[in-house]
Amino acid sequence: MKRRLQAIAVLLLLGAVKLPVEEAATGHLREVKLLTKPISISLRESLGQASFAASLGGLRSLVASITYLRAYREWENINWAKVDSLFQITTRLQPTYFNYWDEASWHMAFNAASSYLYNQEINPMLRGKLYEEHVQRGIEILKEGLLFLPDEPRLWNSLAEIYERRVHNPKKAAECYLEVFRISHNDRYSRFAGYQLAQASDRESWVKGYELLKTAYDKKQRPPSVIDQLKNLEERLNIPPLKRIPDARPQMEIQHGEVGPSR
Amino acid sequence: MNSNSFSPARIWTLAAATVTQLVRMKIMAFLVVFCVIVVAAGFAFPVMNPEQQLKLLKDVSFGALQIFSVVIAIVSTALLLPRDLEDRTLYTILSKPVPRYEYLLGKLIGVLLLIGAGLVLMDIAFSAVLWLRQSLVLVQSVAALKQEGVATPEAIAQLNEFVGKQGLTWNIHLGVLAIFLKASVIAALSLMISCFASSTLFTVVISLLVTIIGHGQGLIREYFFSEGMNQIIKKLGSAMLAILTPDLGVFDVLDNVINGEIVSAFSAGVMIGTAALYVTGYVLVSHLLFVEKEL
Repeated sequence: MKRRLQAIAVLLLLGAVKLPVEEAATGHLREVKLLTKPISISLRESLGQASFAASLGGLRSLVASITYLRAYREWENINWAKVDSLFQITTRLQPTYFNYWDEASWHMAFNAASSYLYNQEINPMLRGKLYEEHVQRGIEILKEGLLFLPDEPRLWNSLAEIYERRVHNPKKAAECYLEVFRISHNDRYSRFAGYQLAQASDRESWVKGYELLKTAYDKKQRPPSVIDQLKNLEERLNIPPLKRIPDARPQMEIQHGEVGPSR
Repeated sequence: MNSNSFSPARIWTLAAATVTQLVRMKIMAFLVVFCVIVVAAGFAFPVMNPEQQLKLLKDVSFGALQIFSVVIAIVSTALLLPRDLEDRTLYTILSKPVPRYEYLLGKLIGVLLLIGAGLVLMDIAFSAVLWLRQSLVLVQSVAALKQEGVATPEAIAQLNEFVGKQGLTWNIHLGVLAIFLKASVIAALSLMISCFASSTLFTVVISLLVTIIGHGQGLIREYFFSEGMNQIIKKLGSAMLAILTPDLGVFDVLDNVINGEIVSAFSAGVMIGTAALYVTGYVLVSHLLFVEKEL
């Protein structure tokens, strides 16, 4: 009996000792991004009991892969609502894996939106509305993902592409490309921002776009698209002839059906 | 030799005998199943993007490794004491000058050796398939880029970076270490439970229950102790949970290791230290319970 009481005492002592150790270990591993926060209890209904238990039991990544595969199958079946709900579960299970956010938004903003837009069986008014709603959904997904991964250039790039190609909002697209440039330091994205600002409708954007493209030009990055846009901006901004670039306007061949400036 | 003096040689003999005993139970057959799972996962879903294919292979393989280690840790530990009692091996061992704590340590080390060896073998098989798959994915993706006429050095470098991050790295093996540490804690916990349990089934069920609770300590606290609950009940409940269950979530670094996060030496040390604390504590309690156990 004496030993049993000792055992209980040791167990209680261990409980008291391990609590601060667990707190410190969890804190450190979260800080170095090796641990993510526990999944929300509200996910239980969406996941089902078995998957929820599995994700609790350290198989969260595996459960996320399974829901991803289910979403993939629903995409093949063109069931957009299901694709969205399954990707919601997948991204909640692994919010720090950029690819899930990227793919979820791509499905909504590009695949689902186009699928509704070109569906002849739907009323034309409704088609446009569904298109816009799904493009907006794609944007929301990326913005949510960026809360978890604010320094992920690929998510910023995808957001820029949606603003550029689906929403046709060059100023917002430029902002996102500049974020990619800030994170990756890849000059290419600074040029992309410049192209977008050159397409905006206000003088302030043109000035900024001109500065970005002129910087690229001065760094000897001179593809035809940079020279062409600089020429356009020089005219629009009335740049004095002496300050204009000496290059002749290139012959741009824009392929039929291509959206946005040639790169 | 004084029977009460600590003898690593005796513990090693007991550990080796435990490994032999478990191998005879054909526990390692799981290795074959694992290899089939890994090869199947490695070459399934070729239509997905390269990064996702490699992630899926790692998810499935690590999932199988975790299941193997947890099941073996619980079941083999739960089986050991009752099997030794049934075979009367326990009486033969303890009638010799072998202290009870050495018997317990030998059994636990035997289980851990078996789990460790199994994980190493599975890690080798998994690494080989991952490397092969990574090479194939890279070759196929570069060929696809060339076919589309967009195989610029920039694009190939980016592809190499993506695939490399999801491919075979030393970091992957630290993920396997985290699985081993978790299994060690569960095995020590099961040993402790088996020292006062009335049957093998009891040990298995209770160990499994504590393992599940241990994985979701944070979540269970959130569920049971939401707002509106009495403050005293809240404190008592959380204290009970903290005392009775280990926080196994500390070892769940795999999700982020799969995504390419680096496990530093310090982080590995933190996990090893936490596991050592649990194992030492549970072995001590097991000893105190086993010393008084009537055989």
